[in-house]
Amino acid sequence: MTHNHPHDHTPIVQEEKPGYYEILEISVRELMIEKGRITADDIRKQIELLDSRSPVLGQQLVVRAWTDADFKKRLLENGNAAAEEMDITIYDDTAFTVLEDTPQLHHMIVCTLCSCYPRAVLGLPPDWYKSKQYRSRAVKEPRSVLAEFGTIIPDEIRIIINDSTANQRYMVLPLRPEGTEDFTKEELEKLVTRDTMIGVTIPKII
Amino acid sequence: MSTEIMVKKLPNDIGGTGCSDDKIEIYERNLYPWEKRCHALLDVLDYYKIVNTEEKRRGTENIGAEMVAKLTYYEKWIVSASNCLLQKGILSPDDIAVKTKEVAKRYDVKL
Repeated sequence: MTHNHPHDHTPIVQEEKPGYYEILEISVRELMIEKGRITADDIRKQIELLDSRSPVLGQQLVVRAWTDADFKKRLLENGNAAAEEMDITIYDDTAFTVLEDTPQLHHMIVCTLCSCYPRAVLGLPPDWYKSKQYRSRAVKEPRSVLAEFGTIIPDEIRIIINDSTANQRYMVLPLRPEGTEDFTKEELEKLVTRDTMIGVTIPKII
Repeated sequence: MSTEIMVKKLPNDIGGTGCSDDKIEIYERNLYPWEKRCHALLDVLDYYKIVNTEEKRRGTENIGAEMVAKLTYYEKWIVSASNCLLQKGILSPDDIAVKTKEVAKRYDVKL
């Protein structure tokens, strides 16, 4: 096999020695495995599952909803069942509710208590979603929070903030931008970024 | 101020308490490998109903206001998990003491 691609073959090494909390993580994991409560394969499989989830899945749901009215209806009625239909399992056993934006209504999601997030369709949340600032301000002053993300929602559009819980997760179905009638599925998918499904921005034609 | 609110409201129940001066730090980063393992570990503990999501979250609140403010997200998770496992008698303080010592030695780290 030829091997002439120009990447760097320096092995990835962890430079820093583990700190206290990493040592605690290693210890708890190894103890639980030794006690037969969990297996190393459980952890490996879960990391594999976490890595397999990304906003690509949310994008697929949104674009299908944009282009298939019946699917949209099913998605809004029962997010879990509609996701399963697209072979996306809501693996964390949470209720998955999709919130539809309209020309009069903009949605944004938060978890004021902690960091609940539709991980099954968006992957793990960004740090800012878990931050004290976002959590403490989103429900009180959404417009000022949105402005920090560069998003200005006109005053006549109502903003609804949905607060997630351990059992209830939300995702925003953003409004399909005007002028995208002739877009292909791939072109539409590019408009649907993670942040549009959190609701801190809206899909834009670049 | 009435102390009632402190009784009724959990310390992590911070919705609506922030002000515009608390700007959001917007950046992207990859998790450290141990953070992802920690995430997977808590998911697996939840899956087997050993420590569920709700218990883990409560555990992150019960470490005291000072630690809540100083520890990072996954640092709180692993502290919460080990406290939950200790409270449930699944792990003993000795288990953790012996094991952390062994792991620290393995990586040539002094605890």
